[in-house]
Parts: sequence; structure tokens; C-alpha cells
Amino acid sequence: MLDQASPRWRGALSVSAPFIVVAALWEIVARSGTFPRRLFPPLEDVAETLARLTAAGILPHHAFETIARLLGGFGIAALAGVALGILMGRSRRAEDLLMPLVSTGAPIPGLAYAPLFLLWFGLGNVGAVILVAFVAAFPIVLNSWTGVKAVKEIWIRAAQSMGAGDRRLFRHVILPGALPYILTGLRLGLAQAWRILVAVEMLAAVPWGLGWLIFGAREFLNTDAMLAGIAVIGAIGLALEKLVFQPLERYTVVRWGMMTS
Amino acid sequence: MKAVVSFVVAAALYELVARSGWFAQALVPTLPAIAATLWRTLADGSMLNHAVATVYRVAAGLGLACATGLALGVLMGRFRAVEAFFLPLVNVLMPVPSLAWAPVFILWFGLGNTATILIVFYAATFPMLLNAWTGVRAVNPLWLRAAGAMGARGAELFWKVIVPATSPFVITGLRLAFQRAWIAVVGAEMLAASDFGLGWVIFDAKEFLNADVMLASLAVIGAIGFAFERLAFGALERATVMRWGMVRAAKA
Repeated sequence: MLDQASPRWRGALSVSAPFIVVAALWEIVARSGTFPRRLFPPLEDVAETLARLTAAGILPHHAFETIARLLGGFGIAALAGVALGILMGRSRRAEDLLMPLVSTGAPIPGLAYAPLFLLWFGLGNVGAVILVAFVAAFPIVLNSWTGVKAVKEIWIRAAQSMGAGDRRLFRHVILPGALPYILTGLRLGLAQAWRILVAVEMLAAVPWGLGWLIFGAREFLNTDAMLAGIAVIGAIGLALEKLVFQPLERYTVVRWGMMTS
Repeated sequence: MKAVVSFVVAAALYELVARSGWFAQALVPTLPAIAATLWRTLADGSMLNHAVATVYRVAAGLGLACATGLALGVLMGRFRAVEAFFLPLVNVLMPVPSLAWAPVFILWFGLGNTATILIVFYAATFPMLLNAWTGVRAVNPLWLRAAGAMGARGAELFWKVIVPATSPFVITGLRLAFQRAWIAVVGAEMLAASDFGLGWVIFDAKEFLNADVMLASLAVIGAIGFAFERLAFGALERATVMRWGMVRAAKA
């Protein structure tokens, strides 16, 4: 009994030890009085604010709006990006026309467009969601395109010689063949969207959203609210990785034998 | 040649929209107007000043990030205890976007260079660290044992075997770190810079509806990013990993 339990306990301890050390250091600095308490709050202030804002429903509302914006922007980017990428992979003409534009636009930081999009689409949700979609679309387009190009010619010819039409060829050969790349693209796109969404919320003056919560708290020197917001942002980011992408990869690509786990 | 065709088509479409009169001239300026603004700001030196400020912030943040990320990554790869301590922290801090820290850093350090450089540093550290860590762990154990059998110890083993073997990963890390840093600096300048920088120019131009200034700065940002990506990192790769023959070896 004890033998089975002790390695697990030791594992939990070794994972939590770094956090305990960092928390203790933070606490020492916060309580030393070197910095004003408003600017460098001790952890129980942050935890208390976190609990208070969660209980009041303020923090969940901010988080909900942020996630809705993320999913909206990412959804548009996923649909448009995969469609465009596959089109470019299958049609020579589309590739020639679009590839130079995509490869020129991709290296420009998405946030640089933010003020322009806000001018064009106004402050608020529309501009923010379109900007997130635009930024997330680049890795999705590029990876879908690479994926379609990477489907082995011999699979396509084998399927054709066995009498597969265009639709079946697409559904049963090209799509599964390109899927590992498409999923990589979606993953990069979502990560990209997540990284700029918070900043976009700060710039776009949306009424709700974690970015806005953090930025707004600055006006009132509410460092504890900022840190609580950052904790929620970190938790959502971690959840995206663990709950969305890793299972997705296991259930599709690995099961079809396109990639070993 | 084909690329030229697609740019001409895109430019013609844009010009058509800009001249159609559907949108205000101030919001969708024509290409000649953007070119004129670009030329004017380049000629009076203001664009150059902003570009220098931005590049300085990226260089400072990236430099700090490389020093920290590389040192920590190598230590994590070589020593179990360091890895056990820092890996959980890295896993938790990495999914927080660097720009989420912007308001906190602004409160702590005020508007200006310090906050901006710290945001860039936060963005660039993680790709560098993860790549250095992976690189050290991916060193072929056969090479280590061969070098050990031939009498290499400590410093020699590190500089002659581990450093070259890790270098392709480190260079990839540097590339990723630069990309992250370049995105972060633009956002950080919009939020935290006070009077210089390409990001700040774009954000400031919004107040005056100067879409031509925005688009001109956007072009400069794109050009600098492209130059770093293709020219600087390409040259670096040729001078190090390709000369040492590491890229082929790593792929084989």
C-alpha cells in the first residue's frame, strides 16, 4: 500500500515544490515592504480577489467573452484557412496567385494591423474578431497547403486506378493524408490567436474580456485583479493545450496511423 | 515572375477599392499616397528614428532572452534537479501571452523602454529555452561516449561535442524567439511605449486617422522582419551549423 502510494506522493511533491519556492519568494518580497502593497500584493490578496471576482460572476463573464471571441475568430480562420490552403494545394492557378501574398503577409506581426482594423471596422467585437481570424489564418493556410502537397503521388494514382472519383479521392486519400499538417496548422493558428487576443482586447476597448479586465485594472492600481486575470489566462491557455489539442491528435491522426504518438 | 503578377493584381484591386469612393480617403488611402508618405517619413529621418528605437528594444529583449533561455535550457538538459525544478514553472508560465503582462509591467516600471523590453524578453525566452533543452537532450549518446572514450572531459566535451550538436536546435530557437519578439515588440509599443517606435507610430496615427502613416509603417515593419529572417538568420546558419556539417547530421 505504502509502496504504491509513495512514488505518486513524491511525484506530486516534486511538481509542487517549485511553485512553493516561488510563492514563498513572492511572499517575502511582498511582505518586506520594499514595494507598496497596491503594486506588489501578497498572494492571499490575489487569491481573495480571485475568489471575490469569481463569486460575483465578474471573472467568469470576462473569461466567457474572451473564449467566445477566441472561438469565433479561430472558427472563421479555420474554415477559411483550410479551404484556402486546400484550394492552393490542388489548383495551380490559385497557388500562383495567392502564394506570394500569403508568404509576404505571414511574417508581418498581426498586432501591427490592429489599429488599422479598428479604424476600418470600429472599436469593439467586430474588429477584434476579424483581426484574430486574420492572424490565425496564416499558419492554417500554409500548413494545409503543405499537407495537400505532401500527399504521396503514388496514393493518388493508386486510388485513381482503382476507380476513385474526385470526391472519393478527396475524402479518402487527400484529406486523411493532409490531416497531420492541417492539425498542426490549426494548433499553431489557435496558439497565435490566443497570444494576440489578450492584446487586441486591451486595444479594442471591448466591454468585457480578460485583456480588458487587466488593462482596465491598471487605471485603479488594482494589481491583485491583474494578477488574478493573468492566472485565469494561464489556466485557459493550459486547458487549451491539454484538453483540446492533445486528445484531438490522439483520436484522429494517431488512430488513422498517420503519425505515431 | 508569377509573384509579380499576383502583386500587380492585388495592388490593382486595392487601388480600385481606394479610388471607388466607397470609403473615406483618410481610411483607405491610395497606393501613391502611401508611397509618398513612406518617402516623406524616410527622407525627414523620422521613420528611421522609430525603426532604430524598435530594433533596439527587440535586440535588448532578445539578447536577455537568449542569455537566460540558453543558460537555463542547457542546465535543464544536463542536470536532472534543474529540470525537475524549472519545467513545471515553464509549463505554467508559457501559455500566458507576453502582452498580458503589459499592464503589470507598466505599473511596476512605468511607460517606456523597461516595460517594453521586459515584454519582449518574456515572449522570446520560452522558445529559446525549450529548444536549447531539447537540443541538449537530443545529443547522440554515441558521440558522448565516443568523445569520452577518446579522452574528452568536462569543458572539452561541452564545447567540442554538446555545443555543435545542440546548435541546430539553438538556431531554430533563435529564429522562433525573434518571431515572437517581433510580434511582442509591436504590441508592447502600442501599449507601453511613450514616444518612439514603429508600433507606437501606428497606434498614434489612429488618433489622427492617418491610415497612410499606418500602412507605411506596416511596410517598414514587414521589411525589417523579412530582412532579419532571411538575411541575418540565413547568414548565421551558413556560418555555424552548415559549416560544421550539423544540419545534415541532425537530419540523418
